[in-house]
Amino acid sequence: MTTEQRARSLGVHVVLIAYSLLAVGPILLVVMNSFKMRNAIFGSPLAPPDAATFSLIGYEKVFRSSHILTYYSNSLIVTLVSMALVLLFGAMAAWALTEYRFRGSTALALFLSIGIMVPIRLGSVAILNMMRSAGLNDTLTALILVYVAQGLPMSIFILSEFIQQIPKDLRDAARCDGVPETRIFFEVVAPLLRPAIATVAVFTIVPIWNDLWFPLILTSSDSTHTVTLGVQQFLGQYITDWNSVLAALSMAILPVVIIYVILSRQLIAGLTSGAVK
Amino acid sequence: MPESVSNITAQMPRAKLAGLLLFFLGPAVAIYTLFSIYPLVATMALSTYTSDPSGARSFVGLANFKTLLGDALWSKPFWNALGNNLIFFAVHMCVQNPVGIALAGLLSLPGLRLRGFYRTVMFLPTMLSVVIVGFSWNLILSPLWGVAAGALKAVGLGSLFAPWLGLESSALVTLSLISVWQFVGIPMMLIYAALLNIPDELIDAARVDGLGQFRIFFHIKLPLVLPTISLVSVLTFVANFNAFDLIYSVKGALAGPNFATDILGTFFYRTFFGNQLQLGNPTMGSAVATVMFFIILLGLCLYLFFVQRRIRRYAF
Amino acid sequence: MANLRIEHLHKRYGATAVLNDVNLKIEDGEFVVLVGPSGCGKSTLLRMIAGLDGASGGDIHIADKLVNTLAPADRGIAMVFQSYALYPHMNVRKNMTFGLKFTGVPPAERERRVTEAARMLRLDELLGRYPRDLSGGQRQRVAIGRAIVREPAVFLFDEPLSNLDAALRVSTRVEIANLHRMLKSTIVYVTHDQVEAMTLADRIVVMNKGCIEQVGRPLDLYYAPANLFVAGFIGSPAMNFFEAKVAGVEGACARVDGPGFRSFDLPATSLKMGDTLTVGVRPEHLARREDGSFTVEGVVELVERLGESSFAYVRRADDRLFVAEVRGRQTPTPGERVALAAANRDVHVFDSSGLRVSSPTNT
Ligand SMILES: Nc1ncnc2c1ncn2[C@@H]1O[C@H](COP(=O)(O)OP(=O)(O)OP(=O)(O)O)[C@@H](O)[C@H]1O
Ligand SMILES: [Mg+2]
Repeated sequence: MTTEQRARSLGVHVVLIAYSLLAVGPILLVVMNSFKMRNAIFGSPLAPPDAATFSLIGYEKVFRSSHILTYYSNSLIVTLVSMALVLLFGAMAAWALTEYRFRGSTALALFLSIGIMVPIRLGSVAILNMMRSAGLNDTLTALILVYVAQGLPMSIFILSEFIQQIPKDLRDAARCDGVPETRIFFEVVAPLLRPAIATVAVFTIVPIWNDLWFPLILTSSDSTHTVTLGVQQFLGQYITDWNSVLAALSMAILPVVIIYVILSRQLIAGLTSGAVK
Repeated sequence: MPESVSNITAQMPRAKLAGLLLFFLGPAVAIYTLFSIYPLVATMALSTYTSDPSGARSFVGLANFKTLLGDALWSKPFWNALGNNLIFFAVHMCVQNPVGIALAGLLSLPGLRLRGFYRTVMFLPTMLSVVIVGFSWNLILSPLWGVAAGALKAVGLGSLFAPWLGLESSALVTLSLISVWQFVGIPMMLIYAALLNIPDELIDAARVDGLGQFRIFFHIKLPLVLPTISLVSVLTFVANFNAFDLIYSVKGALAGPNFATDILGTFFYRTFFGNQLQLGNPTMGSAVATVMFFIILLGLCLYLFFVQRRIRRYAF
Repeated sequence: MANLRIEHLHKRYGATAVLNDVNLKIEDGEFVVLVGPSGCGKSTLLRMIAGLDGASGGDIHIADKLVNTLAPADRGIAMVFQSYALYPHMNVRKNMTFGLKFTGVPPAERERRVTEAARMLRLDELLGRYPRDLSGGQRQRVAIGRAIVREPAVFLFDEPLSNLDAALRVSTRVEIANLHRMLKSTIVYVTHDQVEAMTLADRIVVMNKGCIEQVGRPLDLYYAPANLFVAGFIGSPAMNFFEAKVAGVEGACARVDGPGFRSFDLPATSLKMGDTLTVGVRPEHLARREDGSFTVEGVVELVERLGESSFAYVRRADDRLFVAEVRGRQTPTPGERVALAAANRDVHVFDSSGLRVSSPTNT
């Protein structure tokens, strides 16, 4: 490497490191200070907690005065069930749309793609009315139904791209083998769609976990709040109690960060796989 | 070119095909229609009704829209929200896209070390909830904590600090920048993926032609990822005109100070659910949602007719 | 085991006709090879026999049963794809048994068939492996094995060897021939490779632009091509064609004359004075000899030496090139003037519509 090249490469790294700091700095700051005593939070916000300043008081308060564990389990249930249904129904629909030729298939594909661009939030008034009259308001079922409806169009779009990449010969071979159509989907095609899960997750599952709007509109009791809404309400109530606020924020951040770091390779591969162009 | 659609349906008995389609498409179409399309249509229908205090609804045609756009009590906050929303969007376009492109360009440099690490770290904020991000920045920028002030002082710019989120003049732009900070990962990743798709030989050919990295980026790579950039812009547009969480969690439903950060999403929420100042009004709320729907539709049409058509996709 | 009958088969995609009135009868146990230029509809025909594509018109009978509306699995066929189409997430054994599960074959019987096919194809060691851990040739054998265990009446192969390297292609070709001998089943086999077609086929079907040009035994196609297309398609390097005219008719004989070669007589019934003809001679049938009635002269321009023989590119007086395969050591040298002749039975004459007329008589 020439000196010039080395200088340029150094410059690139300086820029990237600076931006990386900007990206994680705020998160780090919040998490770090959540483990400190109140006067240390204000006295030396940039210092990591040490033996003298370490404190879990914020976390204690969060556990004591909010239903954070309920929120977690609600979020988990809603996200996982929605994810399973979005993937299952999405893949099934994508398969039928890409594999079978039938009258109206183009129209149906267009109909389904409306939901990619038009946010379902705009129908909130009617959704609330519907859920009320069906006796579903303030239930997790209501959230799941809405999220599945919200996630399906995008997941059908992404999964169609993936299904088209599966060699046509494979499906034809299965047909010659006498495999019934439903089995072709579940035993030949579906297992090959595993790499698509990450892409679908980034575009439809993460927004579900993070959503504030529908929990705000559709759930009213603590027992049905999700983490995002629960923490938001907690923050509003305890706004002056910095220990609790930072702890609550950290508790919302940490699980996501941990899962993200574990899965980041797949998630990023899913994002960059070119299925979304 | 042979299509990828199978012709297997040609020999299938009709009843069998119908059964298969029902099985595969039924659940998705049913849920989607019932909980996505029907509510949209029903909301639009509801926007042509009004309800009296007893709860009885009566059809009023376009009167709600007349009120919304003509009655100063409604139209002032509406235009204010729309204007703010446009500023919100403009900040995204002017900051998020260039930063995203620049980062993607740096990330895709050949032979870059620690690429995976940078990618992971820089995409992290995008994975977090808007609520959490908004609140964290709220704390950081708060004069009470003094982290931001301290940081500025450390680099000798202490005098520049102001409680940006609290000032009518800067609150909206600050919130927009927080949103940019969070979502820059999406354009970065999509453009990065598009850059990776450019064949190496093309870049090698340019190198042989004597172009430097900088020129290669501007004259070869950038034109080739233009379709992705325009796609990102549309995604940003739809997301921005539908945004709510950030403003609500940092500024509450009243989008203060003095509605300086009010955008369509918060305006819709206030109209629908009410707040300290007014009672919730589902029919007017529906009217606001309908107008938002048409704004988004208008944006999409403009994009399809003026941008999409001019953009050429290149096959490699 | 079964015969196969195709009657007036048509296939259209929108306005473009891909198959045009295809008629073909294949006997029980016969090995039939489909050849033709790229895009002529070979794969389409095969896929229609399999039931993977529907017909726009016409009938397909397998074992004397009309199968037009039957699903692929119910037709008693098995297909081997060019890409092998092995299920990537199943091991070799599962790949072979997967289809049997759905056709009501009991587990013990499945096991027996897999064992037997594995023995026949030398796959015993590989049964637990996944396709990604197999070489190209092994994948190919698994694909064939998957077809065998179905015990089909008709095997369909679509260019099964085209992804293999040259050496492997030869050995697999021999294996397929052996397999046919052992199983005695009906096989329809698509290929681009002339050697494969000539060596494997009981009969070859030459297709062009969605139509069948000729059906016949390999040597019949070689020695008596029915028309210009088949004459040009079969054989490598391709047959030389010379423009010609009927210069005179004397009784039952027509005198054929043209630029660059000596005129000769043809026993021709229906030819008239002035009819245009095409004379075809294969490069390997041209030699320095005196006895042929067809003699052509020119200057050698280029010689390609292959060892056992050489190809000489010869320019005629009318500036056209033709090719001659010269055997032995007496290769011509560039610049040399040569006269080359072919035996009467190796001279093919086609009329203006491209149909074969006859070969010249001895003079
Ligand atoms: N789904 C389709 N839609 C339109 N045209 C098609 C379709 N499938 C095949 N064709 C056309 O039908 C013709 C025959 O195709 P086919 O695959 O049978 O050719 P082939 O003889 O197998 O060629 P090759 O030797 O290259 O494999 C081609 O011109 C092809 O473009
Ligand atoms: Mg083919």
